[in-house]
Amino acid sequence: MSGFLSIEALVAGYDKADVLTGVSLSAEAGRITCLLGANGAGKTTLVRAILGLTPPRGGSIRLDGRELSGLPTHKIVAAGIACIPEGRRLFPKLTVEENLRLGCYLVPGEALLRRRLEEVYDLFPRLRERRTQLAGTMSGGEQAMVSIGRGLMGQPKILLIDEPSLGLSPLFVKENFNIIRRINEGGTTVLLVEQNVHQTLAIAHYGYVMAQGRVVAAGTPAELTGNDEVRQAYFG
Amino acid sequence: MDVGLLSQYLANGVMLGLMYALVAVGFTLFFGVLDVIKFSHGDVAMVGAFAGFATYGGLQAAGVHNPVIQMLGVVLVSVAAMAILGALIARYLIVPLRGAPALNTLLITLMLGTALRESVRLFFPDGANPKPFPRLLPAGSLEFGQFTLRADSAILLAAGIAVIAAVHLLINRTKLGLAIRAVAQDEETARSMGINFSLIVLVTFALGSGVGAFAGVMNGLYYNEINFGMGLLLGVSGFAAAIVGGLGNIYGAILGGFLFAGLQTIGAVAMPFASAYKDVFAFGAVILIMAIRPTGLIPEKNSERV
Repeated sequence: MSGFLSIEALVAGYDKADVLTGVSLSAEAGRITCLLGANGAGKTTLVRAILGLTPPRGGSIRLDGRELSGLPTHKIVAAGIACIPEGRRLFPKLTVEENLRLGCYLVPGEALLRRRLEEVYDLFPRLRERRTQLAGTMSGGEQAMVSIGRGLMGQPKILLIDEPSLGLSPLFVKENFNIIRRINEGGTTVLLVEQNVHQTLAIAHYGYVMAQGRVVAAGTPAELTGNDEVRQAYFG
Repeated sequence: MDVGLLSQYLANGVMLGLMYALVAVGFTLFFGVLDVIKFSHGDVAMVGAFAGFATYGGLQAAGVHNPVIQMLGVVLVSVAAMAILGALIARYLIVPLRGAPALNTLLITLMLGTALRESVRLFFPDGANPKPFPRLLPAGSLEFGQFTLRADSAILLAAGIAVIAAVHLLINRTKLGLAIRAVAQDEETARSMGINFSLIVLVTFALGSGVGAFAGVMNGLYYNEINFGMGLLLGVSGFAAAIVGGLGNIYGAILGGFLFAGLQTIGAVAMPFASAYKDVFAFGAVILIMAIRPTGLIPEKNSERV
């Protein structure tokens, strides 16, 4: 099984300020690893650093042993990483199907693309009905489906999911977590960034807690809920 | 006014509209992917016309006199050379300035336009004087009742429409076009889809500049004359067309091109003053349109960018 992401002593930030000051963590292949932490802890910066959108200033990022740090984003994506970004970040003036096609941008061949489109449409039948609709005109829940579908189109080894439940109704949040679990059961490694502690720990195999640009705790969901330091640092 | 004259004005207006639309499409593409205004665009079209002219001279000297081959050679060399020039300009002058204020890009490309213009004037053999552009298209005319259309005009019109249609298909029906539209809407997310951003920017500048060169050659073939300053008015007209249409929108650029040409034609033939004032009339009308519709005829937020 592939999709083992290992990050060591990662330093990254914007302008002169370092947001991440030496982050080390790993996402085991085939598992759901979660990353918890309050706003401003550096979770999204970590996702951006992995994707090369905020190029790291130090440390290493390896996928199945291959160094990715320093590569341009399109090469990192080609190595097998896909992202469901915070706030969904759909292309609002492209149709649903065009958005999904972009998720498969690096995969050559129309036949394969059509097959994956069908798979996503089977997962979200609503999107099949709305394939020609502009993504920006859809409801929040439907946009979340497009964003997840787009992340799956490339069949990545590891999927980075940043705050998937942000701004969704409680019913859809629950559905979202079920979908993430199903994606993982299909063999895809998942790194899940969330603030929704209880539902996240319910599906994760292992978790990290970040605060002020560092990892402050790590463990299995059971260990994390029982950890005093974590309670103080994060759960309040 | 007799029908024959009317058909002349109509053909002339449509021809100008196509040229402006071709130039405006470039402005719109560049603005789409990098949010920059590239003021040297008209001068790149002018250099394209001179590259075509030089190719014609080279083919004559090489003993190639078949007008069809000459025509193809002129168009291919001009478009290819300007596509390369456009990509080089993007790579070495525009992309490095991405972190800088937009005004710096404006200044650099304004200076570049002047440098291109002056280089042609100084370094092209006898470049300060207008050059007679060869008549490579068949003479003769087509008669439709009272309407007459010169054969060369008909071919130019068809070719211009074909290029616009090809650009439209490329942007809306191909994977490359999808990548260009994605980059125009959200650069970062486009990169996270695996799109090679730098490559798409260079390809877009090559595309826009090649289309601009085509407009330059069209201009030369239509007026049978080119000069080092022709890019200035072509560029400003194309820019006005792009802005009036709503910058960032390819249909806006086409609409703006025809609107601007229509205004010029009306200014030349239907107004009670001399036709020399046609540009004053057209630009005055543009000012009025911008005052009434500050975001252009197709505002970007209601339309698909690029």
